[in-house]
Amino acid sequence: MADTFPQVSYIVASFLFILSLKGLSQPETSRRGNLLGTIGMAIAIVVTAVSLFLRGAGTAALPSPSSTALLAGAIAVGCAIGAVLAARVAMTQMPELVAILHSFVGAAAVLVGIVTKIHSAGSDAAHELEIAIGVAVGAVTFSGSVVAFLKLRGSVSGRPLLLPGRHAANLALAASCVALTAVMLTAPEPGIGLLALLGITALALVLGVHLVAAIGGGDMPVVVSMLNSYSGWAAAAAGFMLSNDLLIITGALVGASGAILSYIMCVAMNRSIVSVIFGGFGAEVKAVGAPKASAGTARETNIREVADLLTASKNVVVVPGYGMAVAQAQHVVREITDALAERGVHVRYAIHPVAGRLPGHMNVLLAEAGVSYEIVKEMDEVNDDLPGTDVVLVIGANDIVNPSAQDDPGSPIYGMPVLEVWKAGRVVMLKRSLAAGYAGIDNPLCYRENTLMLFGDAKHSVSQLLAAVRER
Amino acid sequence: MRGLFRASGRGHGVADESLGIQQQDKPARTAATGRLTVGIPKEIHPGECRVAAVPRTVPRLLKLGYDVVVETGAGAAAAFMDPAYVEAGARIAPDARALWAEADLVLKVRAPERNEALQAHEADLLKEGARIISFLWPGQHRDLVEHLARRKATVLAMDAVPRITRAQKLDALSAMANIAGYRAIIEAASVYGRFLGGQITAAGRVRPATVLVIGAGVAGLSAVSAASALGAIVKAFDTREAVREQVESLGAQFVTFQFDEKGEGEGGYAKQMSDAFLAAEQEFIAGHAKDADIVVTTALIPGQPAPKLVTSGAVVSMRPGSVIVDLAAEWGGNCALTERDAIVLRYGVTIIGLTDLTSRLARQASEMYATTVANLLDDMTKDGTFTLDLHDEIQRGVLVLNEGDLMWPPPKPEVRAGAPQPAPPQPVVRAAKPPRSPWPARVALCVAAAALALLGVYAPPALVPHLTVFLLACVVGWHVVWNVTPALHTPLMSVTNAISGIIVIGGMLLTAGPRVGLGSALAAIAVLVASINIAGGFLVTHRMLKMFRK
Repeated sequence: MADTFPQVSYIVASFLFILSLKGLSQPETSRRGNLLGTIGMAIAIVVTAVSLFLRGAGTAALPSPSSTALLAGAIAVGCAIGAVLAARVAMTQMPELVAILHSFVGAAAVLVGIVTKIHSAGSDAAHELEIAIGVAVGAVTFSGSVVAFLKLRGSVSGRPLLLPGRHAANLALAASCVALTAVMLTAPEPGIGLLALLGITALALVLGVHLVAAIGGGDMPVVVSMLNSYSGWAAAAAGFMLSNDLLIITGALVGASGAILSYIMCVAMNRSIVSVIFGGFGAEVKAVGAPKASAGTARETNIREVADLLTASKNVVVVPGYGMAVAQAQHVVREITDALAERGVHVRYAIHPVAGRLPGHMNVLLAEAGVSYEIVKEMDEVNDDLPGTDVVLVIGANDIVNPSAQDDPGSPIYGMPVLEVWKAGRVVMLKRSLAAGYAGIDNPLCYRENTLMLFGDAKHSVSQLLAAVRER
Repeated sequence: MRGLFRASGRGHGVADESLGIQQQDKPARTAATGRLTVGIPKEIHPGECRVAAVPRTVPRLLKLGYDVVVETGAGAAAAFMDPAYVEAGARIAPDARALWAEADLVLKVRAPERNEALQAHEADLLKEGARIISFLWPGQHRDLVEHLARRKATVLAMDAVPRITRAQKLDALSAMANIAGYRAIIEAASVYGRFLGGQITAAGRVRPATVLVIGAGVAGLSAVSAASALGAIVKAFDTREAVREQVESLGAQFVTFQFDEKGEGEGGYAKQMSDAFLAAEQEFIAGHAKDADIVVTTALIPGQPAPKLVTSGAVVSMRPGSVIVDLAAEWGGNCALTERDAIVLRYGVTIIGLTDLTSRLARQASEMYATTVANLLDDMTKDGTFTLDLHDEIQRGVLVLNEGDLMWPPPKPEVRAGAPQPAPPQPVVRAAKPPRSPWPARVALCVAAAALALLGVYAPPALVPHLTVFLLACVVGWHVVWNVTPALHTPLMSVTNAISGIIVIGGMLLTAGPRVGLGSALAAIAVLVASINIAGGFLVTHRMLKMFRK
């Protein structure tokens, strides 16, 4: 019973985790989903703790009081830190939090692998192989996530680090890991095997740093999703080395989830998934032919004109970009759209999949500002309606509304799905200046005849706009 | 004065010479301040109510560095009175002769013509070597161009603004076409004896009028928009498929017909078609006109007489009481029975051939025209002086005479704009992807098969159930996560963060043992970080999800 009982409980926990992800499919059921996940986790932890004592009861394997205290202390301190982080983090910093949490999973996988190796001197080759893989994946996840975290925080430059011969270097690192694994499997003494494992850890850490450092700051949504996936695979690998199905199932769920998010992000940015995995794909931008120079004059407008335009419209779509979040303008924007809605204007928000720094980031920021999720629409839902829209308000977004993606084969973003805002009656772009966007590409939308430019800091502009709309 | 007028390009010597003459008969005030005088005469064409500057644009001209003189009563027909101009900073000239004598730069709406009251042609009233900006139609008015050339005038034609995106704010023709299209519906509505919109009243049901707009250019689209606003059922006909989207976006039905000829010509205007095409077009239009209550025709081909799209047969087939507004009346008319500047009743159908529709909305038309003229002057004024840049496509385009030298027509522009908005008829298709090579998939399949074979041979039996669980879990995860709405992708990530903290179990199993050593210490660190994940992930997800509200 001592062995069967935890196994059965793990089935329940796995099932709850699956239901938890299922619950997230709709906002209505999402909170219940989160609750189910929490219950699953609680069951898993409690059952594991209880089984430790049940199994060890009456034998030498019974946990000593000091190790029990250590365990309880670790859990308590970890939960306390986690709770503080969760309560304090600003919604704009979600990408950083997610990245650092990935690194924790990676670190845990590495530690579990090494300790397993210490405990299991001279086990069979398959088990040794599982340990090696688990540690390697964990280490890549850990160091990659730390670099991603630092890039997102701005502690290190977002620019891709493109070393000469970086693919060869990656290959060499990976090959060395394989070689060390072979050493580990065939090591006559456990000590040498452990050293080999530590060597694998070090090499994999370097590999993780190098892979993520080669990716540009603008492509962070893909990187974070990739690391999400890696952290899942690391957990699954730990499951294999501990022969624990709950870890395997959970790791596979997370791995699949991260893989899907990465795929969605890649499609949204028109990147190939392979080039993301191997890093340095920001370099493609330069390889493509010179984009068309877009000549023309941008027509500048003013607050009053925009307020007139908005209040006289029937259909308004707001396209927020990361620039809006940076300027912390989402609350004021929500007030503007509320004021418009009160006048009977049909207002919606259109979100491009890569509008934030994380998949779905912009939705969270808008939700935080109090925008109802029912008027927040995805790109595909809105694109068909744009021709019938009177005014599109583009706030702090650039590349995601760039018509070059559809009509300029020379453009680096050609083929990327974009919000076709130029099909609307009028486009008002709130922008700091005519400078190019994140990808460094000029935006011909600024020069379209139905585009009006409202220059200035987004926060300042929208505040004035709110006052002007309320006066009307 | 010397150096005030710099013409880059040819005619430089002439410029200096003519300016020398100007300086002698310049009024003292202007000579002293060194500013050019912009003159706004009253339009003398019969029925013309528009004016080339309005009180709102006067300060802009002053700011550019010009003095502004307005002939008394110049804006009266458009309800812009002299005091308003004075308040805006302009001076009032007592009569036409005084104004023309003073102005270095004349802004007009209509091309110069003979002033019967003064027994003099406006071209002769213009100071020698002075500048004039107006609608001119140089192609149709060769005599006038020669006349102005003899006066050594610099002439800029507002009708010659190139149709490129950058010149949009100078496009006086589009502005006027917009007004004409709107007014066409107003004129039609005033003689059409019924409501345009449908109603259900106690006195019976009123069916909405059907409006057919022929030609979906600026004027046509404006008519479409005005007619839909009044509640009519609107159909718009055009041979250019590219305008379909614009018509439909205004709530009208787009009708077109297939024929083996492209309707799109140079510079975004429709081009002339073959006879067979015209016949087919006439027949098609007659079919639609039969059911229409109001027909607005706007078809024009630059430099050609207007195509006769509505035949007398088509007029006969229309219901009595119907109305045709022919916006091409000035160029011969799109309807065979149109009479220029007249409203006639033929076979029970009222045919409006007015050519002064813009003048009938004089306030609006003056304001828009004056703005385009001020925009042009804005481009042509550098540091307070009037400066022509012959390398600028727009300035070169509008220049008809430079110091009396014929500059028209300009060399062919290279840029081509789609009409009336440069919406490239780009297929909606995304980047054409080359067909995917089947090889990567095949290779992957082989690799997977080889790996499974190796597993089958070498793997310990205990691994197989775990592998089964792993692969099934991947499939389940793949399906469950695809259903997650993109709006919740960030909470999804934080939840997966939390549940991947399940690795805490591995740490727990390794921490709790009979002894505390290096191994359990390391494992305790694993437990600690995994716990951060669990608590942090679930709590932050909860915090986020609470924000999502209807």
